[in-house]
Amino acid sequence: MTAVLSIAAAEWRYWRRSRLALVVVALFVLTLAFVSVLTNMRVAADAEARAHHQEESEETFLSQPDRHPHRMVHYGHYVFRTPTPLATFDPGLDSVTGQAMFLEGHRQNSATFSSSVSSADLGGLSWLTPAVIYQVFAPLLIVILGYGAIVREREARTLAPLLAQGTSAGALISGKLLALFSFALLLVVPLAVTALRSTSDGESASVAASLVALYLLYLCVWIGLTVLVSTVLQKRTTVLATLAACWLTVTLALPAIAVNATSRAEPLAGKIETELTMLNEVRDLGDGHDVDDSVYDALQASLLEEEGVERVEDLDVNIRGVLAGRSEAELTETLNEYAERRMQAESRQARVLNRIGWLTPTLALGAASRAIVGTDLEHYHRFLRQAEALRIEFVQGLNRVHAEELSYTADINRNRDEASSRRARVDASNWEVLETFEYEPAPASERLARASSSLQMLIAWLIALAASLSWAGMRLKP
Amino acid sequence: MERSARLQTEDLQIYRSDKEVLSGISFSIASGEVYALLGGNGAGKSTTLLSFLGFLTATSGTITVDGKEVSANLKAIREAIAYLPESASLYEHLNAYENLKYFLQLAGRTVDQAAIDATLDRVSLDPDSRARRLKDYSKGMRQKVAIAVAILRDTDIFLLDEPTSGLDPSAIDEFHDLVRGLADAGKTILMVTHDVYGACQVADRIGLLRKGKLVGEFSAADGQRIETETVHRAFSGRTANTSVDQ
Repeated sequence: MTAVLSIAAAEWRYWRRSRLALVVVALFVLTLAFVSVLTNMRVAADAEARAHHQEESEETFLSQPDRHPHRMVHYGHYVFRTPTPLATFDPGLDSVTGQAMFLEGHRQNSATFSSSVSSADLGGLSWLTPAVIYQVFAPLLIVILGYGAIVREREARTLAPLLAQGTSAGALISGKLLALFSFALLLVVPLAVTALRSTSDGESASVAASLVALYLLYLCVWIGLTVLVSTVLQKRTTVLATLAACWLTVTLALPAIAVNATSRAEPLAGKIETELTMLNEVRDLGDGHDVDDSVYDALQASLLEEEGVERVEDLDVNIRGVLAGRSEAELTETLNEYAERRMQAESRQARVLNRIGWLTPTLALGAASRAIVGTDLEHYHRFLRQAEALRIEFVQGLNRVHAEELSYTADINRNRDEASSRRARVDASNWEVLETFEYEPAPASERLARASSSLQMLIAWLIALAASLSWAGMRLKP
Repeated sequence: MERSARLQTEDLQIYRSDKEVLSGISFSIASGEVYALLGGNGAGKSTTLLSFLGFLTATSGTITVDGKEVSANLKAIREAIAYLPESASLYEHLNAYENLKYFLQLAGRTVDQAAIDATLDRVSLDPDSRARRLKDYSKGMRQKVAIAVAILRDTDIFLLDEPTSGLDPSAIDEFHDLVRGLADAGKTILMVTHDVYGACQVADRIGLLRKGKLVGEFSAADGQRIETETVHRAFSGRTANTSVDQ
């Protein structure tokens, strides 16, 4: 153990004297600080804007005067997805999926972008987030710092006397690994601080700790790979070229290829095509605005029979409100079916993409990071489902008000004159059917469970590298 | 009385990349003896030396240190041997003290500053240069630090690979004195060299290697040095299969 510590300390001394570590750390800290500030500003501004818009939208809805309830169904309401505390570190899909949604009757709208902040605001650098710095650039720093770990000893011919005096290859490799691991610990300090801060914003401690551990594990994979290549190959230039090629392939090329390959392997049905099919199906459901639509004859007949009356005017409830409710329920069932189908197809695609994490740890880390932070596809779907739950709740609430608070006679005569129009309004207090929307990310346990398959990939990488290093150590000769 | 062999090879044969590089090498070296393996480039000198450290494995025959088979006792044997590579292999970003301390630390030796200074005095390393980084050292100065490492490890066996290559004449003389001093203190020394004059100056016995075969062996008579002219003739191929006791 003393030998391992001595070798690690000597490696640090080499880095210090060659000023390599200093330059590398300075570069990393500067880039990270710059990107963190930009991302924080963007996400914080987004979060503030979304919270403000959410409040404003609710106030606007609730402050509407007495109206016809169905007008309020079409008046609609906005909901916003507030970012999770750690989204400042890994905004994930937030920047490419919508964060706001307009909720109204008879429709499920797509999520849209609430803020004007986009790539253009950051000179096209919005993809550069602290998470990307860790996923793509931190490995490069480990390569720069560690590529000479063993091969430098070989080239300087210090390997022979070290081994010849009984220093084991295992101790030598472990010492180099330890030095790089301590450097990786230094690299994750800013992330640890961010994670710690997120707990004061309500993030779970287990999520924060897991995120730090996850990134450290990823850096360990790079440390293992760097030292392995440095042990196996004979020349520094070859080692550097090999590791540079690995870095390019693993962090940039393979993830890009994987995304394209997944789109081809699991293609999603076209949006327009799907909507046309859905609209055809919806047309068969009937028009809830039309009391005379034959689709609702059976419903009308059963209501009349139930109450023992002959005419809809004599019913205790407003048949127009009842039909609107029935129509909305049936429509929603169809819309949900299509939405679920699309979400499942997207999830399938994401799962195929995540499986490519066996080939590139960067992809595995990215998937796990987004899942833990709460900015992955499943969280986007979660937002869509929560928004839809709110939409159907307030629309059906208004339909109930329509059925129970407004008489059929007043309703059908609403366009006769101003007084009739006023009689066809309900009290504004009924708008309270709208619940306050607060986006709820998945609980910590669910997020961690979702990250577990990617975690297994990283652990498998680490085990394979440890085995390869052990093999290379046994064959290490000057 | 015959002294017991500390380093010994018996009918050693080594192949590298399907090519025979050593064939039927047998020799032994006792305590207090300086044995020089002499030969031209590619004769197999360094291969023989490295086989004692287990860096090369015997295809057939045996290599033993203190009677123990090298391949089966690698760690213990390496700990018992001080090895001085051809070009003093030290860390250029460290000074002499730091180099010494690092190597000794890894060898599990704790040596105080006084002992370090005494050893550096013994190898005649200028005190003013000891705190300077080795990147500013001459080859001779580096060699002195490397020898100091070997001495401070306090092993009984020294393997020296072309130790005087690139040194100036006075540094070579100093080095030879040092080697003789170590041998006189009972250390076993195997050095490989292509320097006939140097080998004759310092060695008790000289083995002549040619194309992987030990083609001659020369021993000095008591209190005498091996005659350079005799060895030189054999080295340059004018005599062969020589076994000479002078």
